[in-house]
Order: sequence, then C-alpha cells, then structure tokens
Amino acid sequence: MEWIGLANYAVFMAIFICIYALLSLGLNIQWGFTGLFNAGIAGFFAVGAYTSAILTSPAVEGRIGGFDLPVPVGWIGAMLAAALIAWPIGKICLRFRSDYLAIATIGVAEIIRLVIKSEDWLTNSARGITDIPRPFGDLPYVYSQLAYLAIVAGVLLVAYLMVERQIAAPWGRMMRAIRDNEDAARAMGKDVPFRRLEAFIFGSALMGLGGALFAHFNRTITPEAIDPMIATFLVWIMLILGGSGNNRGAILGVAVVWIIWSMSEIVTDQLPHEYAVKAKYMRVFLIGLMLQLVLRFRPEGLLPEPQGTREEVSEKSK
Amino acid sequence: MGALEIINFYLVPGIVIGSIYALGAVGITLVFAILRYAHLAHGDLATLGAFLALGAVTLGGVSPYVALPVAMVLTAAAAVMIDKAFYAYLRERPKIVTVMASLGVALMVRAVVQVVWGVDSETYTRGIVRPDVWFGIRIRDRELITILAMIGLVLALHVFLQQSKWGKAMRAMSDNPDLALLSGVDNKKVVMLTWIIVGGLCAAAGVFLGLNYELKAMMGWTMLLPMFAAAILGGVGRVEGAVLGGLIVGIAEEMSTLFLPTEYKAATAFAILLLMLLVRPTGLLKGKVL
Amino acid sequence: MNKFRTALAATLLGATAMAAPAQADVKIGLLGGVSGPIAAMAPAMIDSARLAVQQVNDNGGILDGEQLVAVIGDSACNPQNGTDAATKAVNIENVIGIVGPHCSGAVLAATNSVTIPAGVTVITPSGTSPEISGLNDNDTVFRTVPSDDFQGRALARTLLLRGTAKVAVAYLNNDYGKGLAEAFRSEFEGNGGEIAGFAAHEGEKASYRSNLAELASGGADTLVIFDYGDGSGLTMLRQALENGFFTNFVGGDGMKSDAPIKELGAENLTTFLSSAPVGEKSDSLEMFSKAFADVGGDPSAIFATTSYDAAFMLALAIEKAGGDKAKVSAALREISNGEGEPIRAGEWAKAKELIAAGTAIDYKGAAGDHNFDDKGDVPGTYALFKVSGDGFEVVSEIQ
Repeated sequence: MEWIGLANYAVFMAIFICIYALLSLGLNIQWGFTGLFNAGIAGFFAVGAYTSAILTSPAVEGRIGGFDLPVPVGWIGAMLAAALIAWPIGKICLRFRSDYLAIATIGVAEIIRLVIKSEDWLTNSARGITDIPRPFGDLPYVYSQLAYLAIVAGVLLVAYLMVERQIAAPWGRMMRAIRDNEDAARAMGKDVPFRRLEAFIFGSALMGLGGALFAHFNRTITPEAIDPMIATFLVWIMLILGGSGNNRGAILGVAVVWIIWSMSEIVTDQLPHEYAVKAKYMRVFLIGLMLQLVLRFRPEGLLPEPQGTREEVSEKSK
Repeated sequence: MGALEIINFYLVPGIVIGSIYALGAVGITLVFAILRYAHLAHGDLATLGAFLALGAVTLGGVSPYVALPVAMVLTAAAAVMIDKAFYAYLRERPKIVTVMASLGVALMVRAVVQVVWGVDSETYTRGIVRPDVWFGIRIRDRELITILAMIGLVLALHVFLQQSKWGKAMRAMSDNPDLALLSGVDNKKVVMLTWIIVGGLCAAAGVFLGLNYELKAMMGWTMLLPMFAAAILGGVGRVEGAVLGGLIVGIAEEMSTLFLPTEYKAATAFAILLLMLLVRPTGLLKGKVL
Repeated sequence: MNKFRTALAATLLGATAMAAPAQADVKIGLLGGVSGPIAAMAPAMIDSARLAVQQVNDNGGILDGEQLVAVIGDSACNPQNGTDAATKAVNIENVIGIVGPHCSGAVLAATNSVTIPAGVTVITPSGTSPEISGLNDNDTVFRTVPSDDFQGRALARTLLLRGTAKVAVAYLNNDYGKGLAEAFRSEFEGNGGEIAGFAAHEGEKASYRSNLAELASGGADTLVIFDYGDGSGLTMLRQALENGFFTNFVGGDGMKSDAPIKELGAENLTTFLSSAPVGEKSDSLEMFSKAFADVGGDPSAIFATTSYDAAFMLALAIEKAGGDKAKVSAALREISNGEGEPIRAGEWAKAKELIAAGTAIDYKGAAGDHNFDDKGDVPGTYALFKVSGDGFEVVSEIQ
C-alpha cells in the first residue's frame, strides 16, 4: 500500500514539476539567454490560466464566456493572450535596464492580479472560475493523474526541444551576444530592441501555457494561485538554483525546489505533537536555509551555463 | 467636500503612511546604491524590528519610543549578521544570486518572528487614540512623531553622508566602486556600515508601522512592493528621492479612493511608477542606471 | 526527467521509511493555511479540531479502541500548496477523511484534483465560496460553515428589524467578504433599507482612512464590516473609531474575534455588534467553549467552532462507517440528519455506545446543527453578539 501511495504522490509532484518547468523555461529565455529581468511571471501565468479557463469552461451567466471550446484551443489561446499582453509591456518597458524592468513588470503583474480579483464580468472576481475541463479527467484517480502527466510531460518535452533548437541556432548566439555586450551586438548591425522583444514575448507565451496547464489540472483557477510569492519569486529561485542559461538546469531547479518544499515538511513533522503548528513555520525556515545552502555551494546553479556554444567546444576538441 | 476634509482624511493619512514607506525606501535605495542589488528581505527585517521593540515593551515595560532605539540597534546587529552569514560570500557572484539569497532570508526571518511571537495581531499599547485638533487639522500625537522622526532620521543620514569620513566613503563606493577601492576605501567596513544604517532604518519603519496600526507577522512582506516602488520612483541611489517617492506613493494611495474603486488602491503606486518610468526613466531625481 | 523522477521517488521513500506510522492508527488530515495570508486565524482552527481528536482518544478511542491521529498539512491558502498537502495526506498518510483546507481557492483545487477522484470525504470549516456548493463531488465535499448568502441576508433583516435603515458596507475583497456583502446588499435594499456606501478593500494594507472617509460621505452612521477581526477588519475598526467616522459597527462572523477586544479594549466597543453561527437551543457551544478554554484555546476565535464540529463529525462518521473510507460520506449524513439521539460537543463515549448499539444519533454542534442539505451545505442558525466584559454575549437570535 505504501508503495502505491508514494508512487501517486510522485506522479502528482511530477505534474507540478512539469508545469513549473514551463514557467522556468520561459524565464530562462528571458533572463538566462537575453538578460531581461522579468519579475511579473505571475501576471503572464494568470493571463494564460484565465484565458484558457474562459475559453474552455461552460457558459455562465454574469461573466464573459465560457465558450466551452476544446482544451487545445484554450491552451493555444492562453499562449496567444500572454504573448499579446507581453507585446505592449515589452514594447514600453524593455528599454528600461534590469532593475527598472523588474519593478515595472512587478507593477504590471500586480495590476493584472487586482483586475482579476475585482472584475466580476471578466473573471468572476475573488470566487474564480470553476468547471474547467481536464483532459481524461473522467478516468479513475490514478489513470487520470497518469494521463495528465503524460500530457504535461509531452508539452514540456516539445517546449524544451524547441527552446534548445532555437538556442543552439544562430538566433541563440545572437541573443547571448546581446546579453553579454549589447553595444558590440548593436555595432554588428543586430536589431537589439526587436530581438529582446522577441525573447520577451516567446518566454511570456510559455508562462501563459504553464498557467493554462495549471488551471486545467485543478479544474479551477482562483486569485490565490497568482500570488507573487508562489508564482513569481518561487520561479526565480528555481531558475537561479538550477542554473540560468541552461535549460536542463532550469528544469532541474524546479524539481529540486519542489523536493525541498516537500521534504522539509517530512523533517519538521518529526517534532513532538504539541509543536505541530509551529513546525509549519520551522518548515518555512528550513526552506529558506536550504536555499542558502544550495546558493552557498553552487552559486552558479546546479547545472551552470556551458561556456561557449557547442560548435566552439567541438572545434576546440578537434 | 471641504478642503479640511481632504487634508484630514486623505492627505494626513497619506503623509503618515508615506513617511513609513520613505523610511523603508531609503534603506532599499542605500542597498541598491552601495551593494547594487534588490534586497527582498527588507520588509521582513522591518517586521523583526517591530517585534523586537514589542519584546522590549512587554518585557521591559517601557514606552515604544524608548523601545525604538533598542530595536534599531538589535535589528542593525541582525542585519550585519545576516550579511556575514548569507550575503558576504556571494559578493563576487552575479547580483541576482544575492537577490535570491535575500528572498531565502526573508522566509527565515518571518519564520523566526512567527515562532517567537506567534501570528496574532499585536499592539504596543491597548486601546485607541483619538486625534487632537489643531486649527481644524486632526492628527494623533504618534502620527506627528512618525513624520518628525522620519525627517530627523533622514536629515541625520544626509549630514552623515555629506560630512563624515565614512559617509564620504559610502558615497564614493556608490559613485564608482573601482575608484573608491583604488583610493583606499575599506570595502568591508563600508558594507558593514551600510547594513548598520539599513537595519536601523528597517526597525524604525517597522516600529512606526506597528505604532500607528498593528503588528502582524506578514506586515513587512506586504509593505515590500510599495517600498520598492517608492525607491525606484525617487531615483535609485538617491536618499532624498526615496523620501519623495515614499511620500508620493503614500499620498497617492490614500487620494486614489477619490477617483478609483477602493479595491484598486494597491495598484496606485505601480500606476504612478509606470507613468513616471515612461516620462523619466531615471526616476524623479536622476538616479543612476545600475 | 526520468532520472529525476526515480531519484525523487527514492528520496521520498527513504524519508517516509523514517516516519513509518503505527499501522493501528486511524488517520484524518487537518489541512489549513498555517503559513500565508490567514496565518493569524489558522492555529486556533487547527487546535480546536485537535481538541475533538483528543476527546475521541480520551474517551475510548475510535473503532476498536484505536487512536485517532490528526495529520496536519499546510495548505498555505493557495491552490499550489493546497493540492500538495491534500495529495500527501491522501496518498502518503492514507487519511480516511480531511478537515480543511481553510481557503476556498485551496478547497476548490484540492477537492477537484485530489480528494473527489480519490473518493476521500472533505469537510471544510471555513471555505465559504458559493462555487463549493456547485462542485460535482459524488457527495464527498461538505462544509460546517454556513453559506455567506444565508448569513448576509439574516443580518440584513435583523438590522432592519432593529431600526437601522441606512448603513455603509465595507468588505474584504475575497470570496468571504464579497459573498456576505452582496447577499447583505440585495436583502437590505430589497426590504427598504438604504446602502449609503459599498466598497471593497484589499486586505493587509496599513491605512484605510480614505476608504472610511469615502464610505462615511454617504451619511450613514452605521458601518457594516465583512472582514476578519484579526486582520484588516481590526485595522478598519480601529481607524473608524479613532476618527469618529461612524458611531455603530456591525460585523459578520469573521469580526467576532478576541482580537478587537484585546487590542482596542471592550470599553471602546460598546456600539459593536456581530453575528455568528450558534447551535439551536443546545448547550453544545458552552460545552465546547469550556473544553477548549481548558486546553488553553480561545473559544471565540474565528471558525474555531466550525473546525471543531467538522473534526468531531468526521470522527463520528468514521466510527459509524466502521472505518471504511468509501462509506464515510454516507455515514456523515446519517449522524446528523435531525433524527435520533442528540449528541452534543464532546459526548464521544455516549455516541460510541449508541453507534455500537445501532441507535440513530444526531450531532448538535457548537456552531449549529449541521443537517447537511443535498449540496453538503448547512443552513446555519445565527445570533447577534455584543461585547461584554472580555468576551461576547448573545443579544438576540436572528432569523
């Protein structure tokens, strides 16, 4: 029995890891490869989640939609909506340098959160949207979990391969050139603002997709899910811990952070029963401490960015 | 609506909360200028300061004003220790790593506060304080003290930065670290001094927040975003700018209810910030582009 | 990815091996927002539920004298942690039923993606969103907190009966505050009352004076606050009192908390009334209050009574179902359907005997009778409370 329970929990965590890996990959395109400090992940996550929810849930009186469309339409819609929101933000904000961009994107994400929380006609405000269909959601628990895992893992794999291909292509080299020395890249005739905008939109679309997958997994989306701590800062920790500039690092970081998150509870639950509530605060302390330890011993991330591109490395080895 | 009502119910509360934002924003801007990263544990450090003062009030039976310097010293010590334990070895690394470390510190500090003081709302003194009326202006004594203390602390900091040897060293580090190091500024001492000042300011922000409203374990974290907005609004690295930014954010939040549905109050700070960045990307007072 | 997953499973396995539980225990999950935005409310809710567990164990245990064990999970008031805690409780701890999570968003996510498919019964003591009623849940999701709609309407009628015809309403912008405020408004206006100000506010801000000034500009002298008394509701109450914006204050059950009395002083709260659910003609509430105070708890803490009732009823249902997970939800309806020998808060030994004898029982809880309707909701009975001494005292029942 124990075995099956553990396996079930592992499946659940794997689904969560895949969903957050999409966010982390999106951020990696923006920060890891292009150097854009996007601190508004929660905003794009929210736009994606709510767009897909509105498109695919059944019609409800008093708010826009539900249009009851097939799930893949919702997911594509989520990516498009996140990209559409990212476009003007990027157009305006990308000319600010890092810290200003960070605070500008936090601001946009907070405004998005307040709109979602307050507008009945659009998002059903604080109550959120329910009845979002989940693919294969009618199967018994274990099978439906496995089916969803297969879907999110497939989506993640496609996203990963696409990003890897782009990064290995001349496009990726150009992006890193822009990140590392903007003036030199500009002198070489690269359209720097346009390229950065491209990366910003592409990354945001992935975050939107992550949001959509999250909403369909829970069959509901509520404003509590888009709190900056859980949807922005957590993703940053994952990327930096895993190794920014390295896609596998970005995914590994997600897995490590969720494992830390989960394991810390098992440790603090060993405390005597009368401390059961305080143990949860100790758990948060432990999470903070473990982050410090990883940063202490692997400040460049668990899987650091490879120095030089593949071609260069293989040429050197010749 | 009369002018007095606008002043009493919108402007005065705005200035009071703005002064508290300003105290936090000055600390954030100092870290930005000298250490060059966004310090995300700033709010929780303020929470720690507020609760340390509560400890002094409940254990020592003193008034919160006496507890304030105690809390400032203790929080400054905590800030220096946190820097030594968690930030110092990351100094040569990309700044983003330290930003993440500060997020971890924020979680740890909050957990300590929750374990030691619990999670209930607390106050320094039980009961309510009705405002005094001066020529039609309604203000509580503690609000007046908050505003005056903010001005006093910032002036003292200003004089220190302009006149003293170490203040000049801090400014030199902020303007051009390479040059400052070459001309013999002791980096370690400047960093330590920065944390002492920042810790003290954090505690002051926390204590005044607790004094005017309530103490809660999450109070600092919820103040973090407006304080950051204030620091950036004023121009990164500019102490006067941070004060101005804090006051603008505070007043704008309170004034916003005149025009906007109240649930959007929290968005005001960011709306102003975005507008300002469009017009003046370096902040109100010309901040440095880090 | 595969490598990570195997590693993950392996580490988890290693970790739980250390924590291997004694097999004879019967486990229930207590999921709550221990960390996160409602951190101030969660401990009392968890503790009151644990009081029910302790009473069970002190009075003969559950089933064949086994120990009832409460596994506490942190749902942090968000769907991410809510589903994680629920998955852990259901799969690793093998709980038979769950009390919680506390916040509606976490309830919706955890039930939809974990407990409904896994067939585990959930009773939330504080998830007030109307969306929870509409869940397609195979009758496994219940709540002991009455729906906001009912309380908002009852409070509106009561105020009108007491002669208050003009009020301003301030509510917290979440599902709890919004639900109450909208039900209150429609009933109050429908019966001829006047709403002279109606505004939502974000929680956890420090200053609400301008919000209050806006509300007061409508000319009402009574402020109705739908918020939490140990959160932003306390801040609002303080600032409204200090600045004299209103003279009378009325709160929902969230405002009936010790925090305002402790922080503002009972002498300043003479014009403060609040509604809260009570048991109908039963001394269950007193029995619970005494027992909870004896273990150092605060009986008037928000949702403490509903949490206690949820845990106690879950234990009764498990006893009735003979420990069979699949039968718990049906048993939950049987032990509290208004027919049978009444069982009050804490009367575990008596209930156990009656269940063993096959006699029907009917739980009368500290927060109401909890006769679930077909959606798993309870209608709820309310009373209006005023501050008296260092606690609250019933003014009148409200319909």
